[in-house]
Amino acid sequence: MTAPVGEGRRTAVGIGQVAVTKDPSAVLVAYGLGSCVGVTMFDPAARVVGMVHVLLPHCEGKEAGPNEPGRYADSGLDALVARMSELGARKSRIIVKAAGGASVLGAANAEKFKIGARNAEAIKERLRHHSLRLAAEDLGGTRGRTMEVHCATGRTFVRTAASVPNEL
Amino acid sequence: MTEIGAKVTNILGAVARDGAVRAGRGLSGLVGQEISIHVPNVRMGTKGDACDAVGGEEAVVLGAYLGMSGDIEGHVMLLFPERRALECVDLMYGEPVGTTTEPDDLAMSAVAELGNIVGSAFVNALADHVRLILHPSPPTVVHDMAIALVETIYAEILSRGSEVVMIDTIFEDPNGKTAGLLIVAPDPLCIARIEELAA
Repeated sequence: MTAPVGEGRRTAVGIGQVAVTKDPSAVLVAYGLGSCVGVTMFDPAARVVGMVHVLLPHCEGKEAGPNEPGRYADSGLDALVARMSELGARKSRIIVKAAGGASVLGAANAEKFKIGARNAEAIKERLRHHSLRLAAEDLGGTRGRTMEVHCATGRTFVRTAASVPNEL
Repeated sequence: MTEIGAKVTNILGAVARDGAVRAGRGLSGLVGQEISIHVPNVRMGTKGDACDAVGGEEAVVLGAYLGMSGDIEGHVMLLFPERRALECVDLMYGEPVGTTTEPDDLAMSAVAELGNIVGSAFVNALADHVRLILHPSPPTVVHDMAIALVETIYAEILSRGSEVVMIDTIFEDPNGKTAGLLIVAPDPLCIARIEELAA
């Protein structure tokens, strides 16, 4: 399904960032996810939407830093869930979607660059920790993706370079 | 920039110029006419800087990736905005710039060879300057959004805590010229080795 282009107030969620909003006009966008993974959360009752743009799988005790709370899959998802809850979302209602985790340097280098696959696995692992599951995913492959979530509806779209967006 | 930082950049500049001469020689030999390569600017940069240099985060870029192995590991990626890459293909085939309009199989093959020549020349120049054994891998053609490619390299080196080196690369023959960006992400050990040499 094609996303309504230009609709809403688009906010870029950069690498390592976490964004949460109740503004129905907002559209949260993670541009060009390669090995990174974008995760969206939507509570249809509380009308809260959030997104995290994860760069690496595990924090392994390292601080993510105030400007990049979503840098790691584990601590980034913790931050997203906490901020969703602060705005009234309940875990039991949250719909989670994820995209990215690709091997954009080609199948020949997929074995070498495992970051994408490790990010995707770390996301799923941390979601299980929070008793959340993916309602939809577009993970892996060899193409970069741009992901966006529309706050009014929670509808999430993914597109690759020069392609039309598909609803996730 | 610190004094040591400036010296590291100077050494990388010398490596880039040496690599450019070698690559120009290789490329000219391959296509049978003189193609010169200039590297007017070498700098350390963030992922955002690298994307801006090729048209922005979502710009569709075309290029080639080579891995670097041996005494140390690293990554080399030659990226062009798609149109610029096709202009470079024209230079390689001796056609007027603008002749190739689609990234077809022939164009992709030329980009792979271009990446192979330029990337390998840089890796070999680096190996000679830092006196280490380094081997470039075969090239992989990359064709995607700029940030998706840069971010993957960035994620890989971030787990080791390093930065990327950005080398503006201009290709020129009698028919015209075009420009790309050579991104080099060396192992931190390589930077340490260069710092040793710079001290």
